Amino acid sequence: MSDLSNLRANLRVIFSAAEMALRSNLTDGFVFFGIVIQPTIIALLAFWMLRDQGNDAIIYVVIGSGMTGLWTMALFISGQAISGERWTGTLEMLVATPTPLYIVVIGKTLANVLQSLVAMVATYALAGLVFGVLPRILRPGMFTLSLFFAVISYISFGLIISPLFVLNPQVRRLQNGLEFPVYILGGFFFPIALLPGWTTPLSYILPPYWAARALHGASSGGAVSDILFAIGMMILFILIYGMITARLFQRILYKARVEATLVRQ
Amino acid sequence: MNVIEVSNLRRVYNANVGAIRRSHKEIVAVDGISFHIEGGELFGLLGPNGAGKTTTVKMLTTMLIPTDGSIRILGLDVVRDAKKLRSRIGFIYGGERGLYWRLSGIDNLRYFGSLYHLDPQATRKRIPELLEMVGLSERGEEKVEGYSRGMKQRLHVARALLHDPEVLFLDEPTLGLDPVGARDLRTIIRNLQAENKTILLTTHYMLEADALCQRIAVINKGKIVAEGSPAELKSIVSDLSVIEVEVFGSVDDFLPTLRAQSFVDALSIENREQKQVLLIQSPAGAEAVSPLLGLLAGVRVGKVIVREPTLEDAYIRLVEEDV
Amino acid sequence: MFRTLNTNIRIFLQGAYLSYVALFAWIQPAHYLATKVMGPFFYMIFFVLMGAYISGRNDASFYVIGNAMQAAALSGIYGVSMSIDGDRWGGTLIYLFGTPANRLALFLGRAFMHLLDGILGVIIGLVWGVLIFKLDLSQTNFLALALVITTTVFSTAGMGLMLGCLGLITRNVMLVNNTIFFLLLVFSGANVEVSSLPAWAQTISSMVPLTRGIAAARLVIDGQSLAMVWPLLQGEFLVGVIYAAIGFLMFRQFEIIAIRRGTLEAF
Repeated sequence: MSDLSNLRANLRVIFSAAEMALRSNLTDGFVFFGIVIQPTIIALLAFWMLRDQGNDAIIYVVIGSGMTGLWTMALFISGQAISGERWTGTLEMLVATPTPLYIVVIGKTLANVLQSLVAMVATYALAGLVFGVLPRILRPGMFTLSLFFAVISYISFGLIISPLFVLNPQVRRLQNGLEFPVYILGGFFFPIALLPGWTTPLSYILPPYWAARALHGASSGGAVSDILFAIGMMILFILIYGMITARLFQRILYKARVEATLVRQ
Repeated sequence: MNVIEVSNLRRVYNANVGAIRRSHKEIVAVDGISFHIEGGELFGLLGPNGAGKTTTVKMLTTMLIPTDGSIRILGLDVVRDAKKLRSRIGFIYGGERGLYWRLSGIDNLRYFGSLYHLDPQATRKRIPELLEMVGLSERGEEKVEGYSRGMKQRLHVARALLHDPEVLFLDEPTLGLDPVGARDLRTIIRNLQAENKTILLTTHYMLEADALCQRIAVINKGKIVAEGSPAELKSIVSDLSVIEVEVFGSVDDFLPTLRAQSFVDALSIENREQKQVLLIQSPAGAEAVSPLLGLLAGVRVGKVIVREPTLEDAYIRLVEEDV
Repeated sequence: MFRTLNTNIRIFLQGAYLSYVALFAWIQPAHYLATKVMGPFFYMIFFVLMGAYISGRNDASFYVIGNAMQAAALSGIYGVSMSIDGDRWGGTLIYLFGTPANRLALFLGRAFMHLLDGILGVIIGLVWGVLIFKLDLSQTNFLALALVITTTVFSTAGMGLMLGCLGLITRNVMLVNNTIFFLLLVFSGANVEVSSLPAWAQTISSMVPLTRGIAAARLVIDGQSLAMVWPLLQGEFLVGVIYAAIGFLMFRQFEIIAIRRGTLEAF
């Protein structure tokens, strides 16, 4: 098969895996909770807290709530992209095909990240409902660019976390415990300057932090240089994660075939 | 020409035993087996549960790496050439798993079609043909979660055939199916062989192996204990007769004495409703009946039959000898 | 008479014991402790900082107390409701209905251990508050605080019983539980002053558990006497009783309908 037709075939897999994931998530109560209910309740809470503050803060809350939706879905749904297939016994069927497993995972995480954007849209609409006006995004161009890279960096995170969960069940146990710490360290609802100084490096190694920084900056009219810097950091992490991911996938597939863990009884 | 060549295949699992004082234990699932399958042949791997059939199939289908030994399929090595091999073989594992239950049968096939890098147009044409072949044409649009076990199994067959593989592995395909479902599936398998596919089938149903396979290997405790055509395997017990004795109540106390008799070659017990049936393989035939009944003094005995051995008796003998 | 009582007490205690064993069967002790101790830590930091930054209100103790008390709902809602629904996952419910066991004893037994668990959860939250946000307990009447905590945990468990029964009818218990838990974060006044909510929201606040308990806890920690918060406690207790009673009626109804229709094992 030529490279070009191989690429075409893999692109087709990405789209059909994404379509599949979207279709099965559509009826999943947990997904609905993570991308609609939880972010809108947190946003409602924040809006009521805001009452006496200026309207500039509204868009800040919308972005923050949207980020919680993106993170929760990345952690729980993208994290499960491989182990879920193992539970249903479909992982062996996937591995048996000529499609590399990471292509399937890219498709699934693409769907997860795109559907998580519903959180941002829902809280944006809620803001309109509560305050009677839709908040404005001050730098739409920068915002679009930031959002584009935020989506890619969440996909790259999903790509790295799903093989990790398979390789190491201990990591999976941390899953529940990782939701709120990243809400905090990511600076979704308050600047990380409020946290003790030693936590700052932790924030810096989290792509969600740079995503939140870029989006917050672009929506409330922050300095362009700062937004571009945050985008640059996202690109850096996408590259680093990409390299690690390639090795991880090779390792899990070989390890699973040695240790007979492609399937969970 | 040999399509599949297996030599000295071994697979060892490491298991952790004990909750507090953990110790490693090695479990030998497949213990140095060799066999080969010719092109277009339907080969049966027959054995009791836990004999190593599934482990063997997983290694053959590149899902498990052998501890020792080698497998070549279509001239390709299952470990080194796994990728190349995968697009030329198809497999189904018994049971209901391995499908996306929330999607329809057609969607499942369409998805796997793209995973196998098939041309979308060709897939669209092929899916109805496959559904027709496995008898799911009417139900293709329905979600898999509503399928019966047999339907899921037949959908698996369709999935395994999507990319028109040259070699097929069917691991316990009729496991847990009702008699009608199992019969339908056997018809499908026969049709596949007519298309000249090379097929390896594992089963623990004697009748199934007898009816479908040209050659059978009996596997027990990870080792192949016999190999040959169904007729050849039957000849193992051709010099024997089988005496069936219906008994009521427990006969456990008598078993050691019975087994020790020179006219008893193999003995097994079958439960049939409220009675049990002793199956005794004996070279003495009808002449063994009266000494046998003498030994069973005090047991309520029902019908006694002396008959010709079947493939099942050969199997019992092979598996029993090893105990 | 005494024999019946004895039997019922036994059913109660066994129910309590078994539901806790079941809890530990799917959560490992170390993992459970981590959730129990570290979970509230991050929860609290998030809501305190978010509250402080967004509302501009410089009063950590408001959020600390609110969110520590909210921990009661973790055990009350998740623990209790899952101990009822767990039966159906395990397919044991049909056997339970086959016994002559007193349904009320059975029901309450399942909630009991989670009450203790919830009290512990609130205490852990307050300890974090003292350690991280320097919550001041010097004016606090601890006996009164203990009573406030117990009452609040009781009322959330009452709601948990009802949600557990609701879970027997609906397919998605966790979705309902998660939603209720997060709604309580808003309406119970844990993170916003109830008086600053819109009128319709205040009506909801008055009908859910936690609201009065959280208000009472803030007053008691601030140095108010038990007598001052007594009416709040009575209200909180009553809310718990009402939810538990609704839950119990639903449980009986479910049993009757399920047996008639044969849907006991249906998901």
